[in-house]
Amino acid sequence: MGTYIVRRLLQAIPMLLLVSIALFALVNIAPGGPMSAYSRTNRMPEEKKEEIRRKFGLDKPLPVQYVVWLVGNDWMQIDTDGDGISDGNGTRLGILRGDFGFSYKTREPVLALIADRLPNTVYLMFFTLLFTGIVAVPVGVISAIKQYSGFDITATTLSFMGQAIPEFWLGLLLILLFYGTLDNPFTGEALFPSGGMQTLGAEFSILDRARHLFLPVLMGLVGWVAWYSRFLRSSMLEVINQDYIRTARAKGQTEQKVLYKHALRNALIPLVTMFALDFPYIFTGSLYAELLFSWPGMGRLFYNAATSRDYPILMAILIIGSGIVVLSNLMADIAYAYLDPRVRYE
Amino acid sequence: MNSNENPLGKINNKPVRPPETMTTLAWKRFRRHPGAVAGSIILTLLILMTVFAGLSPYDPEVSDIKNRYQAPSLEHPFGTDGLGRDLLTRTLYGGRVSMSVGLMVVGITLSIGVPIGSIAGYYGGWIDNVLMRVIDATLSIPSLMFLILLAAILREAELPFVKGNSVMTIAVVLGVLTWPTVARLVRAVFLTVRETDYVKAAEALGASAPRIILREILPNGFGPIIVESTLGVGYAIMEESGLSFLGFGIMPPTPSWGNMLNNAQEHLSTYPWLAIFPGLMIFLTIISVNYIGDGLRDALDPYKILGKIE
Amino acid sequence: MNFRKSLKVLIFGLVALLLLVGVTGCGPKTSGDSGNSITILIPDNPVAFNGINTDTGYEQALGELVMLSLSETDPNGNVFPELAVEIPTVENGGVVLDEDAWTMTATWKLREDVFWADGEQVTADDVVFTWNAMVDAGAWYAPMDYTESVEKVDDFTILVTFSTVFPAYNLMFGGEDVFIYPEHYCDAEAGFYEWNCDSQPLSSGPYILEEWVADDHLTFVKNENYFEEGKPAIDQVIVRIVPEEPVKQQMMLEGDADLHYWPAEPASNLYKEEGNGTKWAKSPTERWVMRLIPNTYVKGDPETPHPFLSDVRVRRALRMSIDVDTIINDIFLGYGVPVWNDFFRPPFNSCDIPRPEYDVEGAAALLEEAGWTDSDGDGVRECNGCDTAEAGTMMTMEYAIYAEYGESLELAQQLIAESWKSIGIGTDLQIIEGAIMWAEAEDGGTEIAGLFELDMWDDGYPGTDPSDQIWTFYSSGSDWNYGHWTNEDMDGYIDEMYTVYEEDYLWAACEAAAILEEELPQILLFSTLEMHGLSERLNGVLPNSNDPVTWNVADWTLEE
Repeated sequence: MGTYIVRRLLQAIPMLLLVSIALFALVNIAPGGPMSAYSRTNRMPEEKKEEIRRKFGLDKPLPVQYVVWLVGNDWMQIDTDGDGISDGNGTRLGILRGDFGFSYKTREPVLALIADRLPNTVYLMFFTLLFTGIVAVPVGVISAIKQYSGFDITATTLSFMGQAIPEFWLGLLLILLFYGTLDNPFTGEALFPSGGMQTLGAEFSILDRARHLFLPVLMGLVGWVAWYSRFLRSSMLEVINQDYIRTARAKGQTEQKVLYKHALRNALIPLVTMFALDFPYIFTGSLYAELLFSWPGMGRLFYNAATSRDYPILMAILIIGSGIVVLSNLMADIAYAYLDPRVRYE
Repeated sequence: MNSNENPLGKINNKPVRPPETMTTLAWKRFRRHPGAVAGSIILTLLILMTVFAGLSPYDPEVSDIKNRYQAPSLEHPFGTDGLGRDLLTRTLYGGRVSMSVGLMVVGITLSIGVPIGSIAGYYGGWIDNVLMRVIDATLSIPSLMFLILLAAILREAELPFVKGNSVMTIAVVLGVLTWPTVARLVRAVFLTVRETDYVKAAEALGASAPRIILREILPNGFGPIIVESTLGVGYAIMEESGLSFLGFGIMPPTPSWGNMLNNAQEHLSTYPWLAIFPGLMIFLTIISVNYIGDGLRDALDPYKILGKIE
Repeated sequence: MNFRKSLKVLIFGLVALLLLVGVTGCGPKTSGDSGNSITILIPDNPVAFNGINTDTGYEQALGELVMLSLSETDPNGNVFPELAVEIPTVENGGVVLDEDAWTMTATWKLREDVFWADGEQVTADDVVFTWNAMVDAGAWYAPMDYTESVEKVDDFTILVTFSTVFPAYNLMFGGEDVFIYPEHYCDAEAGFYEWNCDSQPLSSGPYILEEWVADDHLTFVKNENYFEEGKPAIDQVIVRIVPEEPVKQQMMLEGDADLHYWPAEPASNLYKEEGNGTKWAKSPTERWVMRLIPNTYVKGDPETPHPFLSDVRVRRALRMSIDVDTIINDIFLGYGVPVWNDFFRPPFNSCDIPRPEYDVEGAAALLEEAGWTDSDGDGVRECNGCDTAEAGTMMTMEYAIYAEYGESLELAQQLIAESWKSIGIGTDLQIIEGAIMWAEAEDGGTEIAGLFELDMWDDGYPGTDPSDQIWTFYSSGSDWNYGHWTNEDMDGYIDEMYTVYEEDYLWAACEAAAILEEELPQILLFSTLEMHGLSERLNGVLPNSNDPVTWNVADWTLEE
């Protein structure tokens, strides 16, 4: 198992390099970009522009820029004033040493911008996924056990509907309903807040936090529950119809025991791997929820960077995201091997 | 036709029925799936409506400025938009766009995914290894973010067919992201079938690689490919609407359900119907497509078909 | 426990949770309701407290809350002193002309009763420091091209020497973009764009930044040491960053916000309605003029004249076939005034350029005359004997707007295109993001690189002096003459406009206005107003087309 993990990790390195080269190329052939952000008024003197280009290495050919982005330029001589004489080494460390550069727009380190937003996204996605599990697992299991019952048909229909609703559209309707229309019968205020993470200027309160979480979590929940409950239903059905469950039944074990001990446990295995594959959403978040509910998270950081062509941010989020996806895939495989004794990796 | 061409024969070690029977059986199963039948009917209606949108008395692009933002009425069942254009007509024309995006994405997905999956699965070895790494790499990039980036870049690019905020641009953007799934699926089929006796026999008889790939192996994957493609149409329509909502999709004046929803946002408090109808259309289309996909999955599942016969 | 039972427990639990969370008050009261606090809604996280280091357009507005300048412009376009004692003029001796060399100096006197929030006094050193920081950073605004030096005379006096007579000298250290920064506080080493003054400003203005949670909100509290006695009246200003328009509208209706910054036009119907708890405020004068900019050369090829946009008759036909009144009244809901010349505001409206008529048939006739007819009946004209293109060239062009304005501009674009289509002019409608449209040439900026055929966007100048904008758009020496139309006479009159003698200025301006009308290098349509949605309880807000709405935030009051 150990060697397997090491091998997979080693395989991931060239793959991530490939991804980073592709992304770097894509981002750099696109119009809009650094110089526009640095010379806001479009009228920066040409010498000044030249100086900035040199300072940030934008005068170098793309492959060099990629290398600098990857491993930094503190080992390179930089000629800031263009007089042919080196003005000392560069200051970039490169992403391999955790330096994702500066936002073109705000001139802040990209990592600091991400660090500001990441906890908010993790916070929202954690509760979304938690409630997905709480709702989807029992719904999926009962649907499978009582296949073709009224409950099953209702749940399946609802899950088809849940998967067909555009997430952002649902979010708009939720705001209109729970914020714009429905009022709290006791205080006369809106039933749920329109957005944000907490009431501004108020003391920390779990209830207040929960109220702010409710709508964005609900919006995300619909699609997730629809997907997971259907998935669990079919994997449970598959297990129930397998020989060893029939055998267990034939041996006279109680239905409860059969279902819990044998069936559910085995049906959950693919669910766990599926969950591991969805884990990266914890990092990238839900852009629609963040936009509609004014949530200061990763999705909006990316979206704003995309509209203003703030490429260091885009590159950082995409490449970190890809890394997390790769790790999650590995985790999924490991979890699978751990949970399912039939699977063995050499 | 050589009965050995059918892998199912090998799986069950039983005499194999002619293919017509398979289709008939699949059809029989499909008909028994109530969701799939309802979905088919609704989708057919939707498609017919969009195809015959031209019969509407209104032109989707001609303004009637004195009748802006009319509420739904007999004259305008969905109301009118900001230039007084009939919203039902525009929704139907938007449906053409959204649905063609769906179909084009599937077309792109298949035309990249099937060859790559086939080559990887048939040849194996380093070719497989390289192609699989490319597939893994593509799948590892966070999808919505990658879509946004691609859309932002491609629409400024001056490429022959992919120009501006056109339908083709969005289809290419989505296709870039969906082909790996199909490629994996096709590869899996190849890996299962490649080592079977009849493929070996075909090779021994001197059949060319393209012939084996196209005639002997690929047909075994038709079931799952059809299912995946059907669901892919729904996925593409959903993603197009999301991208348009974010301002990275198909741009007006070409109406699509996504950008109609996007434009409706400013008016959500005043003219909510502008948002309700396109949203409902997306919902209906996707739920129909998903039900059809589900029905096809059941119907085309070889085990289930043969299981029923036993 | 069986499954059915556990499901019931689950459903019950969820419903109970929903009820509990929804109904249990909202814990502590929102601070927005606690009397003396207002909430402003903007869609984007601002970059800085700096009008030159601007990106979202909200930087200036937030800067006004915390920073002061030497002079500002009121809603009617009058320049008034803020940190300065008075505006220097020729009459009061503050401005001295050298008639022979055609240069001038301006002497600014500072108030002696203004202090930074940390107790230090605002002095001439701060002004000189701010100027030097901008120059060092390569920041640009118009006065930079004409200023020789900025010197401190004494602690409260600054002498500015200009290399020419520069009429816009009076907003050199003010207006919407420039604030005065504290020398003792700002980290000049870091540079004008990177320094702490942009993220943690030291206030001289009415409010102090207390908290800034990126992408979420900024909280400002009253500056107790603000120099105007008894102001500001409101204790706290919260700026919330809410990206979605419908959410902002709902927040205004629910009473959770007091100022909806730059709402889309349709929101006016909502906010003006009685009983909504909201109202609508608009500026008394206009500034931004919606304009069509034809590229007189081929897209991306500055050597070849455009097949038809280079012909003034075609440009005139384009203008004649646009129904400006309908666009203003129906699409922009009446919030706009027809404009047909860049010299449209007092005192230049005396130039007497008549308003062009809306005449679709006349436009068609003009196109015929120019040699553009539809001989093959496909609905689009081709060159049949035109002067500017090969025979058979189709009369179609790309017509782009920018994405950020909102649906109103899209509708106007579609309506104009429809009208052109009716007279045989084909268009390929495009929507381009501002980040691309106005980017640098090397980043693929469509405007400056000439990568467009016909664009529509709004631009205008603050205050009363158009000379810099006229130079920018129409001078042969300007890189920002996007349409690449040039005219020697025009260049001459633009030069003449750099004077402080009103009579000379007016004469040159009217001559220039006549050329613009004759040649139509740009097609001006209408001006848009500065508009905001307000809560009913917020008073004293005076939208100002020359300055952000927060220009007089110290005068705002709340009704109890």
